[in-house]
Amino acid sequence: MSKIKFLFLISVLVITFSVSLFLGPRIINPFELNGTDKEILLMIRLPRVIVATLMGMALGASGAVLQGILRNPLADPYILGISSGSALAATLGLLSGMYMFSNFSIPLTAFIGASIVSILVGLFGWKKGGLWPGRLLLAGIGLSFLFYAILMLIISISANEVTRRALLWIFGDLSIAEWSLIPYGFLFILAGLYICISRAKALNALMLGDDFAHSLGFSVHRERLLLFASVAIMTSASVSLGGTIGFIGLIIPHIVRFLAGADNKKLIPLSALCGGAFLCIADMIGRTIMSPAEIPSGIITAIIGSPYFLYLLRKKDVLST
Amino acid sequence: MELTYSAATKKPGKIWLLNFAVSILLLNYILSASPASAEIPGRIISLAPNITEILFAIGLDNRIVGVTNFCDYPEEAKRKPKVGGMSTPSLEAVVSLKPCIVVMTTDGNPKEFEQRLRSLKIKTYIFRARTLTELPQGVRDMGLELGAKEKADTLARKIETAINNPPTPPFTKGGRGGITEASQKKRVLFIIWPEPLIVAGPGTVIDDAISILGLENAAYRSKVSYPKYSIEEIIRQSPDIIFIGKGHENIKEVSKRLLKKIATVPAVKKGNVFYLSDTLYRLGPRVINGIEEMAGCLK
Amino acid sequence: MFSVHNYPILELNNVSFSYERGNNFIYNLNFSAGNGEFIGFLGANGSGKSTILKLASGILKPSHGEIKLWGKSLQNYSNKDRAKLLCYLPQLLDINVPFTVRELVKMGLYPYDIPPLMTIEEAIALVGLQEKSESYITTLSGGERRRVFIAMILVQGAGLLLLDEPLANLDIKYQIELLRLLRELKEKKNISILMALHDINIALHFEKVLLIKDGTMLGMGNPETVLTGNLLSKAFDVNIEIRKHDSGRSYVSYEDTN
Repeated sequence: MSKIKFLFLISVLVITFSVSLFLGPRIINPFELNGTDKEILLMIRLPRVIVATLMGMALGASGAVLQGILRNPLADPYILGISSGSALAATLGLLSGMYMFSNFSIPLTAFIGASIVSILVGLFGWKKGGLWPGRLLLAGIGLSFLFYAILMLIISISANEVTRRALLWIFGDLSIAEWSLIPYGFLFILAGLYICISRAKALNALMLGDDFAHSLGFSVHRERLLLFASVAIMTSASVSLGGTIGFIGLIIPHIVRFLAGADNKKLIPLSALCGGAFLCIADMIGRTIMSPAEIPSGIITAIIGSPYFLYLLRKKDVLST
Repeated sequence: MELTYSAATKKPGKIWLLNFAVSILLLNYILSASPASAEIPGRIISLAPNITEILFAIGLDNRIVGVTNFCDYPEEAKRKPKVGGMSTPSLEAVVSLKPCIVVMTTDGNPKEFEQRLRSLKIKTYIFRARTLTELPQGVRDMGLELGAKEKADTLARKIETAINNPPTPPFTKGGRGGITEASQKKRVLFIIWPEPLIVAGPGTVIDDAISILGLENAAYRSKVSYPKYSIEEIIRQSPDIIFIGKGHENIKEVSKRLLKKIATVPAVKKGNVFYLSDTLYRLGPRVINGIEEMAGCLK
Repeated sequence: MFSVHNYPILELNNVSFSYERGNNFIYNLNFSAGNGEFIGFLGANGSGKSTILKLASGILKPSHGEIKLWGKSLQNYSNKDRAKLLCYLPQLLDINVPFTVRELVKMGLYPYDIPPLMTIEEAIALVGLQEKSESYITTLSGGERRRVFIAMILVQGAGLLLLDEPLANLDIKYQIELLRLLRELKEKKNISILMALHDINIALHFEKVLLIKDGTMLGMGNPETVLTGNLLSKAFDVNIEIRKHDSGRSYVSYEDTN
């Protein structure tokens, strides 16, 4: 993995970013901006593209890290119950009328919900002074089902309108992106990325097994806790920006692993970059093809990504054991 | 049998004539009563909120024995036994209420449910009106079937009047900036829900009402009735008037973020954002109030 | 410097350990390994070989007693410092993550901030995997996989290797190859090796063996004194005899107890 390749990928991200900025229901020519175009560009598209990039980065990196610490290729950031937890929190917030206070209250509630769930999963996954992958996974699945059931219960007994907004957190919607939330999302996601990229070596060692990691001089439990915390921070921030978007966290790390190998020092940053670029494109397509109606990005990510993933699965025989 | 009897007997004079008249009457009665409506159905179940509203409006409230969970208007409808949701009615609940007829809609009830009812020998009636213009005839047909012909006719005529002679808002007469744009219709956007942004597209009662009032639906390009709409498209369409449906008590709070984002469109700039009740959400008797309400905002 | 041969680099003093409370799995174990020694741990399945290696590497903590590395309590080392002196290779290496050979060997550098003595290329060459340095671990054979990890350990450069059944599931050819490689390393780099085994025939050719049964030591020393029919029968619960071949080589004979 040379510097040139890395720079190439960065430029791909930049190109994707600008393309999805200027393409949409209508193409905006950056050299001939009229008032409306300018307004749409600055107030609608730019925050949306930034949110898509941030969320995609957070999800891609979280997926890579989580698959590593759980040593499970099927792990997805949402497997830890973070999506259902934040949706539940947001719904409770909506029911209690919390959004009266400010624009921040519901995203903040979603973030707090996601964080509480992460802590709960951590507590259930904790035994003998550390987090255990198998326990974490099962705790996540169990809590996820529980919160989802409570959420469905609330939805089935409450008014239509609350349901509609609650679903937004379950299926994700980038159209709610706006400037005011971006700095916070950026801060949290950057912090998460920094933690996990700086722990990439430990993650490599952990993927070989706890005993290996110990032998290579890592404090197994401390490293796993840090990595888990980074996933929790990034995923929670991403959910509070635009709800839950499936597929990216699960598949992007696999695609990157196919193309660039499993070394987490490359895998985490590359998954972040590809996740960001991919969600940008998916969202661009989602708001363009059926214009003026919009298709949720989560659907597009799965429709484009899955066939490519299946193609790689057939073509490259790397995962065979 | 009367038919055979009257045809077979050939009696001369007045008696024959009387006999013939009686036969005709009897025949008439038989034909009209069988097989579809041997009697006026006594126990009715409505599987859609708009049907429930119509049934109440044509005075059939005492005969309704079951409604859906969504039937919340008029107030008394809430006290009727519930049979489940529109798309998921409970067959068991319906059967246990022993209906003479189940009134269904093509707009939201599953077709399979109708087949299932018929296989259980439960009579169904399907309300087929989908647009505002189809509504009066739909009401008449249903009234006839359910034995409330007169009242249905009165309601249908009321709706026809509202549709054909809409209150013309002064707004529609002048143009946007005066005479030059007089021919241009005012653009209207009806927001059902601000977050996620759902608007009323073509093929909805709201769309019909907008065109009846001589306005143009800004979401006319949508291929879906209730699309999840693109915010930047609102800015481009720059609607002159925005209606927001009162789906929720706190709708004003929820709409704030959206209105902030589209602050530059003429409707928001000039303060032409109105909150409307849910009268136009259902193809029922309240559309009359809905049209009036919409027109009233524009004065 | 500690260049004195047989200086005790690893000492276990009265070490006990239990997985479950009150039920000692390892009981009152005492032994020490000197600098440059190559010791085989022999015992039946579940006798405690792996547990002792994990205790010695600090993965498990003793419930009683003390473990010393180069004269200093193991617990007083930082993770990184310990990793520079001691290295543990687990028995199970079923890694299905597509790391390349080079990537894996490079992980041996993790405890270091500066490049250590042996380069990655050297280590790969020493285990004879030059041709496969860019291959994915998932495509290698069992024997090759072991060698990858030996190379990783070499890069890690620790003076004490704790290897848990490195010969398990290997063809006899690879077993011999690996043992030869380890012996060579021991000679060249003065590395001490502790290795868990369960094949008595192989143990017979070690300089020093430690026979374990149910967490206690039955004997320690050269094979002639420790691997007697009597002790082995006790350790493995089977009647075992050591016979001498005409050539003078010892071999094991199992007797049917029926």
